[in-house]
Amino acid sequence: MIYPPPLNLVQFSFLAISEQYLSILTQTPIRLINYRFRYRSPPPFREIDDLSTAIESSPILFPCHFRAVFVNFDPNSYTADQLSISVQAHMAKFAAKNSPACGTCASNVTVSVTLDSNSNCISNGNNVDWKCGALNEFKFAEKHEDGLLDEDFASLLDNNSGAKVYTVVAVKTEQEEVRAVVGKYRHAWIMGRIFEEEAIEKIAEIFVNVFMNGGKEEGLIHGEFMPLGADGRIVLSFNLLNADPHNWIYDWDFQEIDENLLSPVIDALKPLADVSVESQVLYHTPKSSFSFWDDRLDSYIFSTKDLPFFVNSNEWHLDTSVAAGGLSKILQFVVYVPSAKECPLQLQLPNGEISTTNGFISPMWGGIVVWNPSACLTDSKIKHPLRYKISSEDSRKLFEVFMGQLRQLFGLKSDGLFVGASGTSILLASERGFSEWELDVLSRQHSCFNLLQCGTTLGSLSRLVQSLPRMIIMDDIGKQVKYSLEAARLTLSNALLGIYDASAGMFYSSAIWMDCN
Amino acid sequence: MGIWGSLFLLFLILISAYQSFAKEGSAEELNEEFTEGLLLRPLADRKVLAHFHFQSSVPPTRTYGRHHHLFPKSIYQLIKKFRVREMELSFTQGRWNYERWGGYDPISSSNAKPPGVELWAIFDVPLDQVDASWKNLTHALSGLFCASINFLEHSTSYSAPQWSFRSFTGKLRYGTLPREAVCTENLTPWLKLLPCRDKAGISALMDRPSIYRGYYHSQRLHFTSDEYDTAKSNSGIMLEQTLTVVLQPNTLGARAMVSGKTLQPSWSLSSLFGRKVHGKCSVSKSSNVYVQFEQNLVSELKEVWKESEESERGILTHNNFWTNPIFEMSASPHRIVKEVGNLQQEDSSILYEFSVEDFNDSEPFDLGLKWKLPVAWSCQQAPLRASRFLMGSGNERGAIAISLKSSRNNNTQRVGCSENGSQLRIDIFQVVPWYVKVYYHTLKVFVDGELQSTMENIEKMHISSSEDKVSPGVMEMILRLPCGVKTAALTLEFDKGFLHIDEYPPDANQGFDIPSAVVSFTDFQASIGFEDNFLNKLPILNELQERKHVICYTEVLLVPLTTPDFSMPYNVITITCTVFALYFGSLLNALRRRVGEEERLLKSKAAKKRGPLTSILSKLFAKLTGRPIKPPETQSASPSSINYKVIVKVILVAGMAVGWQYYFR
Repeated sequence: MIYPPPLNLVQFSFLAISEQYLSILTQTPIRLINYRFRYRSPPPFREIDDLSTAIESSPILFPCHFRAVFVNFDPNSYTADQLSISVQAHMAKFAAKNSPACGTCASNVTVSVTLDSNSNCISNGNNVDWKCGALNEFKFAEKHEDGLLDEDFASLLDNNSGAKVYTVVAVKTEQEEVRAVVGKYRHAWIMGRIFEEEAIEKIAEIFVNVFMNGGKEEGLIHGEFMPLGADGRIVLSFNLLNADPHNWIYDWDFQEIDENLLSPVIDALKPLADVSVESQVLYHTPKSSFSFWDDRLDSYIFSTKDLPFFVNSNEWHLDTSVAAGGLSKILQFVVYVPSAKECPLQLQLPNGEISTTNGFISPMWGGIVVWNPSACLTDSKIKHPLRYKISSEDSRKLFEVFMGQLRQLFGLKSDGLFVGASGTSILLASERGFSEWELDVLSRQHSCFNLLQCGTTLGSLSRLVQSLPRMIIMDDIGKQVKYSLEAARLTLSNALLGIYDASAGMFYSSAIWMDCN
Repeated sequence: MGIWGSLFLLFLILISAYQSFAKEGSAEELNEEFTEGLLLRPLADRKVLAHFHFQSSVPPTRTYGRHHHLFPKSIYQLIKKFRVREMELSFTQGRWNYERWGGYDPISSSNAKPPGVELWAIFDVPLDQVDASWKNLTHALSGLFCASINFLEHSTSYSAPQWSFRSFTGKLRYGTLPREAVCTENLTPWLKLLPCRDKAGISALMDRPSIYRGYYHSQRLHFTSDEYDTAKSNSGIMLEQTLTVVLQPNTLGARAMVSGKTLQPSWSLSSLFGRKVHGKCSVSKSSNVYVQFEQNLVSELKEVWKESEESERGILTHNNFWTNPIFEMSASPHRIVKEVGNLQQEDSSILYEFSVEDFNDSEPFDLGLKWKLPVAWSCQQAPLRASRFLMGSGNERGAIAISLKSSRNNNTQRVGCSENGSQLRIDIFQVVPWYVKVYYHTLKVFVDGELQSTMENIEKMHISSSEDKVSPGVMEMILRLPCGVKTAALTLEFDKGFLHIDEYPPDANQGFDIPSAVVSFTDFQASIGFEDNFLNKLPILNELQERKHVICYTEVLLVPLTTPDFSMPYNVITITCTVFALYFGSLLNALRRRVGEEERLLKSKAAKKRGPLTSILSKLFAKLTGRPIKPPETQSASPSSINYKVIVKVILVAGMAVGWQYYFR
C-alpha cells in the first residue's frame, strides 16, 4: 500500500522560509536603493491619465472652413442659405460613408455660400470676400489651360487673412462637358452645363473626399504609416546601383538633380518635415530575385510576386546614414541599372502588362526604379567597361517616378485623377510635388497620429510606473515627461483652434521612451 | 595719391591673377579617384608580406559638392558630423616582429600597429568640444566597424598627447583597446567602404581563411580632411585603407635543399591566398601589384650571382632577368622601379610592377615567385630595438622597464648619428591605466648598464599623472642617448590599485593590459625614394615615399591585479543550500516516517527470515562492542518514546522557523 506523505505542511513551511531567506539575500540592497532613489520625480499620473483618455476617447478633429461659390446660376431657384444647408447635408452623407479617420475635419463644418450671377451677388457668411462679378471677365468659352486658370483663381481667391479656407467654384457655362479640376492651392472649380443639385453633390464630394481626406482610396498607405520621423525629419537617400560594373558603369549628376528638381519639393515639405538629401553610387549590386526572358516582350521579366526578394540586403549597402541619428526616418530611393545578362529588365504587372514606371515602392522603406540603359541591346562584350552618364532628360524622368513614389509613400495619389461617385475630377500636379491642400491633409494626419501616439506612450509610461513602484524615475526623465505633457496639451488646444503643428509633443514623448529603455 | 591708387590697382590685378591661377590649378583634379595596389615582399624568415593599399580621394565640398560617386558616404558623413581633420583606426592581430620583418622601412613604420584596436583623431572643433566629439566618434565607429570601440568613450581609456605622438596640441585624442579581438566582422565593414568591395579587383584576393591564418594581420583606415580649413588651398578628403598581412607560404612536403642550405619557399598568389586576380576593379584608376626586394636581399642576390656566374651589374633589372638562375617570376613585370636617394648603400631596393588591368576571368592574374638557389639575408633594423617588460612580483607593486638595445648592424645607426651630432633622439609616449599607479619620480635611466642621473639624458618630459577612475597616466619624453650606446633602459615603479567589483572585466584573472608604448626615432626617416617623378601619382608608391619617422610599438604588458574571489557568492549560496537541503531532508524524513507501520513491517520481515549475513553482522557487532547478541525483536522498545522524539523535533523546527521569522522581520 502506498501512503501519501503529508507534504503540504512541509512545503508551506519551506516556501515561507525560503522566501524569507531570499529576502535576506536580495531585498536588503534593493531596499537601500529604494530609500535613496524611489520616486525621485514621480510623473504627474492624474494629468497624464486625463490627457490620454481625452486623446483616446474621441478622434481629434480639426475645424475647417469651406466656401462654395456658384457663378451664373439662377438666383431665384435657391437661396444661399438653402444651398449651404444642402451642401452640408450632402457632406454629412459622404462623411458617414467612411469612418471618421484621424486628422479629418470636424463634423460640424460651416459652409459659406456665395451666389454670383449677372444681376446680383448674395452671400450667407460674414467673412466671404468673393469679388462679385470678377469671373465675368473670363471668357470661359475659350479653352483655358488648367494651370493658367488655377493661377487666375488663386489671384481671385487670395485672401490675406491667413485662414485656410477651401473653396469650390461652380461655374455654369454653355459647354456640354462638365469639367471638375482641383487646383494646386486650396480651391477647385467645376465648369460646364450643370444643374444645382448636381453641382451641390459634386461640391460636397470634393470637400469631403479631396480636401478633407486627401483623395485617398482603399489600398493606399494608411496615414498612420507616414514615413516621418518622430522629430519631424526625413532623410531621402538616393542610390544608383550598378548591378555589374564589368558591363557598363552609369553615373549621374546628382548635384544637378538636387539643386534643380529636389530643392522645390524640399521647400514645399518644409512645414511638414525637415528633409535632407544624400546620394551614393554603388557597384556590384545584383538583385536577389530571378528574372526570365520573354520572347514576346523581348525583355527580361520580373513579376510582382518577385518583388519581396528584389532587394538584396547582402550586397546592397544602402547604409543607414550617420547623419540621421535618433528618431529620423530614412527613405531609400534606388535606381537599379541591370547587368548585361538581364537587360532590358521589365516589371510585369499581375494583369500581364508591363509597368510604365518600371518601379515599385515598399511602404516605410522607399522606392525602387529599374532603369534600362540604352546600350542594353547592343553587344556588350567589351573588355573595359564604358562609363556613361545618365542624361539629364533621363534623370528628370527618373526623378518624376521617384516623386510619384514619394507621394505614394505619404499616402497620396500619384495619377492625378480622383474618381468619385459623381464623376472624375482632375487633380492638378504641383511642380513642387505636393499641392497646398495635400500638405494640409498630411500635416493634419501627422499631428493627429502624433498626438495619439504621444497619449498612448505617456499613458503606458504612467501605467508602468504605477505598476512598478520600485522603478526609479530620474530627474531629467521626469522633467521630459512634464515637457511632453505640456507640449501635448498645447498641441491639443491648438488643434482645436485649427493650428496643426504637433511635432514637438511627439518628439518629447519618444525621447522619454528611449531614456526609459 | 596717384601712386597709392596705381599700387592698389596693381595689387588688385595681382590678386585676380592669383585667383584665376588657383582656379586653373584646382580644375586639374576635380574628380573623385580610387586606386588599388598590392605590395608583396619576401621576408627573411621564409614568410611573405602582403600589403593591400586602397585610396579614395574627393575634392573639397566647396568646389565639388556633397554628392559623391566613389567616395564612401559613411566616412564623408562621419567627417562632416564630427568635424574630423585626421583620423586613423587600426585593427591588428598578432605582433609585428621588428627583428625579422624589419623596423626601418615605411611599411613597418606606418603599418606595424599594436595588437587590438588603436584609434587617434584630430578634430577641428573648439577645444572644449573635443572630448564630446571624440565620444560621439567612438560610438559611430563602433557601429560602423562592429567593434567595441565605444569602450574608448570613457575618459579613463583615452588620452590627449601633447607633442610626442603628433603635434596637434589639444585637439588630438588617442586611445587603444589591446584586448579587442579582430575578425571578419571587422573586415567586412571595412571592405564595404571600397567601391568594388571584394567582388572585383585586387581586394578579391582577400580570402578570409587565408588572411586570418597569417602571422600578422592589420587593417588600417586613415583619412585626412581639410574641409574646415580656412586656408584657401585645400585638397579635399583623402581616405587610405591598408591591409597588411604576413603569411607563411605553403611549402608542400619537406623543405627543398640545395647544397646543404634550405631554399626560400616559392609562392604564388593562388598558393598564398587561394584566389587569383580576375582583372581590376572597374572604377579604379590604377591597379597594380608590386613585388619588392629589400636592399639587403638585392645585395645578397648580387653576391650569389657573382658566386655562381660571371658578374653582371644590371642583373636584376635586366630584360630577361625573370629567368635567372637564382629565382624565377611567372610573369614579366610591366616596369621595374629602382630606389634612388639612398646614397649610403650601394645597393637599393627594387620594385617590380605588374598591372592587372589586362587580365580577365578566362585568364586570371597569378603571380608566382620561385627560388632556385638558397639566399639568406637580414632585414633593415631600426637604430634601437625597443621592448618593454614588467619587473617585480606579488600583487602589491612592480616596475615597468623599457629597454632599448642597439641592433646588430650598425649601418643605420651611423647614418642617423652622423646627421645629428653625437646624440640619438628617441621619443617615447606611454599611456598607463589609472589602476596601475606609476610613481614618475622613481624614473631611472640606465645607459650601457650604468645608472645615470635622470635629467642628463632627458631633454624634455611631459607627465600627466593618472587620476583614479577619471584619467589615465600619460608620459611623454624625449631621450638623448650617446651615439655609440649599446643598451639603454628606463624603469618606473608602480603600485597596483584596487578596482570596484563592477569595474572588473570578464576574466579578470587573466590580468590587465597596459597599452603599447610608442617609441619613435625622429632623426630617422623611413622612406623609399623612386627615380621616376610620374610615379608620384600612384598612391601606393606615394605611401612608400612619404617621409615619416621611424616608429615602433613595444609589447602590450599584462599586469596581474588582485582580484576578489568572484566565486564567493556562488560558494555561499551553494553551502547554504546544502545546509538547507540537509535540514529539510531530515525534517521531511522525521515527519513522514510512520513508526508503528515500520515496526510492524520489520517484525514481519524478521519473522519471515533472518538471513545468514545479518546474523553474522550482529555477531560481529556484538563482539566488537562486547555486548551479548540481542535478538532483533528488542529493537521495538517503546513506540511512545519515538513518538515523543518526533514531536520534540517538530516543535524544534517550528520554533526555529518562528524565531527566524521574528528575527528578520
